[in-house]
Amino acid sequence: MLILRKFLRDVPAVIGFCIIVLLCLIAIFSPLIVSDLNAVYDGDLVSRLQPPSAEFWFGTDSLGRDVFARVIVGSRGALEVALTVVSLAIAIGVPAGLYAGYSDGWGSQLVMRLTDVFLAVPQLILALAVAQLMGRGLGSAMAALALTYWPFFCRTVYSEVRRLRNELFIEAQRCLGASTSRILFVHVLPNVASAVIVRATIGMGFTIMTTAVLGFLGVGATPPNPDWGLAIAEGRDYLPQSWWAVTFPGLGIFITVLGFNLFGDGLRDLVDPRLRRSR
Amino acid sequence: MTRFVLHRLLLTIPALVGLLVLTFIMLRVLPNDPSAALAGENATPDQIAAVRKAYGFDEPLWKQFVIYVRQVGTGDLGNSIISNRPVIRDIAERLPATIELTFISLLFAACVGIPLGTLAAVWYQSFFDHAMRVVTVAGLAIASFWFAIILQMIFAMELDWLPLRGRFPVGLAAPWHITGFYLVDSLLTLRFDLFGKAFAHILMPAFTLSLAGLASIARFTRAGALETMQKEFVHYAEAAGYARRRIVWVYVLRNSVVGATTQIGLLFGGLISSAVAVEAIFDWPGVGSYAVNAILTSDYKAVLAVTLVVGLIYSIVNILVDVVHAWLDPRVAEKL
Amino acid sequence: MKRRTFLMGSGAAVTVAAMGNRVALAQPMPDELVWADDLPGNLDPYSVSDVPMQGYMINVYDTLYVNKENPPKLVPWLATGHTISDDGLTVTVKLREGVKFHDGSSLTSDDVVWSFHRLLNVKKGPAAAFLPVLDTNGITAPDPTTAVFKLKQPYAPFVAAFPLVAILNRRQIEPNIKDNDWGQAWLASNSAGSGCYIPDISTYQPVQQLDMKRNHDHFMGWTHNTSPIEIVRRRSIMETTTRVNALIKGDVDCTDSYLPPDQVDRVLASKTATVSKNQTMRVMVLRMNNKKPPFDNRNFRLAMSHAFNYKGFIDGVLKGYAVRNAGPIPVNLWGSPTDLAPYDFNLDTAKDYLAKAKAEGAPVEREIEIQIQQHLAQTTQAAQILQQSLRKIGVNLKIVANLWPQLVSSTAKADTTPDMWAHWVSAYFIDPENWIGQMYDSRFHGTWKASCWYKNDKVDALLREARHLDDQGKRQPLYEEASRIIVADAADIWIYNAIELRGISNRLHGFEFTPIGSGADFRTMSLTS
Repeated sequence: MLILRKFLRDVPAVIGFCIIVLLCLIAIFSPLIVSDLNAVYDGDLVSRLQPPSAEFWFGTDSLGRDVFARVIVGSRGALEVALTVVSLAIAIGVPAGLYAGYSDGWGSQLVMRLTDVFLAVPQLILALAVAQLMGRGLGSAMAALALTYWPFFCRTVYSEVRRLRNELFIEAQRCLGASTSRILFVHVLPNVASAVIVRATIGMGFTIMTTAVLGFLGVGATPPNPDWGLAIAEGRDYLPQSWWAVTFPGLGIFITVLGFNLFGDGLRDLVDPRLRRSR
Repeated sequence: MTRFVLHRLLLTIPALVGLLVLTFIMLRVLPNDPSAALAGENATPDQIAAVRKAYGFDEPLWKQFVIYVRQVGTGDLGNSIISNRPVIRDIAERLPATIELTFISLLFAACVGIPLGTLAAVWYQSFFDHAMRVVTVAGLAIASFWFAIILQMIFAMELDWLPLRGRFPVGLAAPWHITGFYLVDSLLTLRFDLFGKAFAHILMPAFTLSLAGLASIARFTRAGALETMQKEFVHYAEAAGYARRRIVWVYVLRNSVVGATTQIGLLFGGLISSAVAVEAIFDWPGVGSYAVNAILTSDYKAVLAVTLVVGLIYSIVNILVDVVHAWLDPRVAEKL
Repeated sequence: MKRRTFLMGSGAAVTVAAMGNRVALAQPMPDELVWADDLPGNLDPYSVSDVPMQGYMINVYDTLYVNKENPPKLVPWLATGHTISDDGLTVTVKLREGVKFHDGSSLTSDDVVWSFHRLLNVKKGPAAAFLPVLDTNGITAPDPTTAVFKLKQPYAPFVAAFPLVAILNRRQIEPNIKDNDWGQAWLASNSAGSGCYIPDISTYQPVQQLDMKRNHDHFMGWTHNTSPIEIVRRRSIMETTTRVNALIKGDVDCTDSYLPPDQVDRVLASKTATVSKNQTMRVMVLRMNNKKPPFDNRNFRLAMSHAFNYKGFIDGVLKGYAVRNAGPIPVNLWGSPTDLAPYDFNLDTAKDYLAKAKAEGAPVEREIEIQIQQHLAQTTQAAQILQQSLRKIGVNLKIVANLWPQLVSSTAKADTTPDMWAHWVSAYFIDPENWIGQMYDSRFHGTWKASCWYKNDKVDALLREARHLDDQGKRQPLYEEASRIIVADAADIWIYNAIELRGISNRLHGFEFTPIGSGADFRTMSLTS
């Protein structure tokens, strides 16, 4: 309960948490919020690029479709993409980083060199190659993004573990005879978790943003998917006079990323054992 | 220290070899067939086949790779299929623009981010701390090209304070080419008027690009500073009566910057990808837009070359980052 | 303290310096044109034949004939005239005298012959129009002002295709030939022409920029233009909004020729620029792979033809800036039957045809795919409009994004060719052959233009005969009949003939539009301050 109280004192973190909850609710209950699901895909060409009004809260896009409906339904896709990519990247990167950071020898070196290689390849090109291999579409874009993102986790975890390795309390555990896996999972991992969380929340933002660029190049979400990034890419040519087609999906991305990051910050402050004992 | 640097250099080699192999495999698996596009829009199937033979797309994979490695070794990365010039020349022309942009963006992000992060840690949980966190995250969350267009509309169209696009005004001769970085070259040749123009042109693109890095650097600095301030030596310094300001800016900063430098290294590679949108909106003639164009036109050699060059630069930057890291935190150098 | 003040002070000084210069930043020089249209990939006019290359070529090089005005007329340029033998196999061209290249040397028939030899050996770009009918030993120069072309078979569009071939300076290129490449490596970043403008190669950055200065000694003279433009600075701008903003701000003097209809009002409302609207010859078509079921069923194709909302697309998305085109030949070119009725948007009719197709056993249930190019917004929009309508009649259309080079290479075989894809057919030379001939004659199967894999023996016969006759009067009815058959067969979905929209600054005068080169002929242009 003390933890909960402490969390509630961190105002931005609470705001972030509320945003995430709201987002999840919107994504789950989107069919109820949007009165006419057909408006997402069918538009009346006569009423294209209408500004926000009582009938169309967010206006209409270049094919006459209701932007409000598209933004709401698009929240689902955004969450799916972000969560999948980051989870995959963590699943690969964190164990790799733990292993490389804690052990010495050629295994550790190999992992780190592999990290270097993947990090050195520009995201865009790696993503396109994977998309070509697996066929274009959102699935391959997600795989590609996970492949470009796992090194970030690996490196972060690696540097944390390297630093921790020399800490007194770890050495003490070793002297006491604790096994490597126990040390790693009970003592090292919690300390590393905070860095991973912060990385993950930043990763959410980058993922959604990069998906938009990939969508523009023909990889990732394809029309008529109401993906936010795709909507921005499609709406660019109508700026600045038809600003609503780009602004509202952009706001969707903005609020989502903001929510995850603020929450992640608060979580990290909470979880970090070093900060627990003071202030 | 020297041993550390040498060791670090040696470790780069397998990474680069791996990069070569990985990129070659990746790009060769792409089933794109540029021979049709090369032969021209009105070509017959025979013409397409002839082009395919002339460019060597028919050879077995391993043979192509061996030839490729030999070429890279001699510095011949082939000709761009589109511009029909050596790819390395195309990239060399464009690289200074991207590096200049990325560097200024990072500089701005670091100069603003590190002090912000440290201050936020010093005033932990205060309004400033909360505000800084929200504002820097906002910078991350904004779609860069949307923000770029807003900047353009306000500063270039409405207020007419800053130029709309490009590195330099049309028709004006660029500063005498020494490094290819307009800001540096204009200073070296003492042309302060040209410096002013180049600076005005780089302002908006660099600012837009710096937003994402700003958040990352500020947050990691804050985390590092928070952690350092728990350390015993800080308590001791406080107890010993050192001025708070001195403790923070001299001791805490140095230790917290360590976390930030790793991020800066990681950011550099990401910035080149993020620069694509900024380069497109502001018409910045850099490597990012070149790479995208190469992908869109299946300019196979250009794509490979960009990957290699960017990879090489990135590896160099990482070595530098690690060396700086070791200098700031000598413990890292000890445990090789 | 000191360091901080120094940093702040210098920062302030720099900002002031930057601001103080702002007046000079925006305006280009009064007698310089800043042309913001796309540059070709490289500078060799034989390497590729696309719209940017034509825009470049018409200024830097000269051709035997050129296209002027809209509707375009073929006008002698380097040539003074030509004669065709009775059997249609020999074309004799007489050249003008006294024409000089940019380096001062004279242009003679030797250069003409060498240029065509180069074209046939390099085998790229514009060569496609000539390779089937011309051999290198069939081109000769009996005297310095005569060139003779011996064709393998009569080919009506032969002279119409002359504007595709730039005449190159042999003496300038030959010393730079490496490894039998006919100078391609050198010409890719150099010029060897005789045209109205001379490129300044020191300013060349591929795809990005190039500066050109006026050729005072051009053989056609400059008497037609009281204040010709001395310097042209070509700058390429990638992003649409930036390009339009730059035009409105006065940084550049034009946009490219694909101004989005939604930006037209904005440009017209600005004080600095206007929009030039011209009907060109560029047909947008949704291809259907006639060899893949259910597209091999004519009723299914008819159902598709009635399922596209033509009016909504042209009036809604394009804001009326397009002309409904019933068949493959642009409506403003001879050969297109004037009474040809276009298919209308009618979902009930579509449903009927669909039922008929189903009764005949066509697999109408399967999910069909249309491939679009995502950075060409109209292909996406057209696909989505079709998808919306098809959903209402129970057909599942899936949209797949792809890139041009992959699309082109996939059309080499019928089973790799997509079910449907969207593209335009631009005017490379002004002759129905460019459209209907290369799209529906089965001998072109395996090229992107013929990616519908349509085969009809009667149409083949009509098109082949028309190709060989040289009298337009005789060819026209053949093309019209072929058009009728192809449209009745609903081989593809033809949507519109484009109205080209280009933003032009108000200080630019003398912009003359033709479908080829998109009006980028600097020769007639002048600037008022």
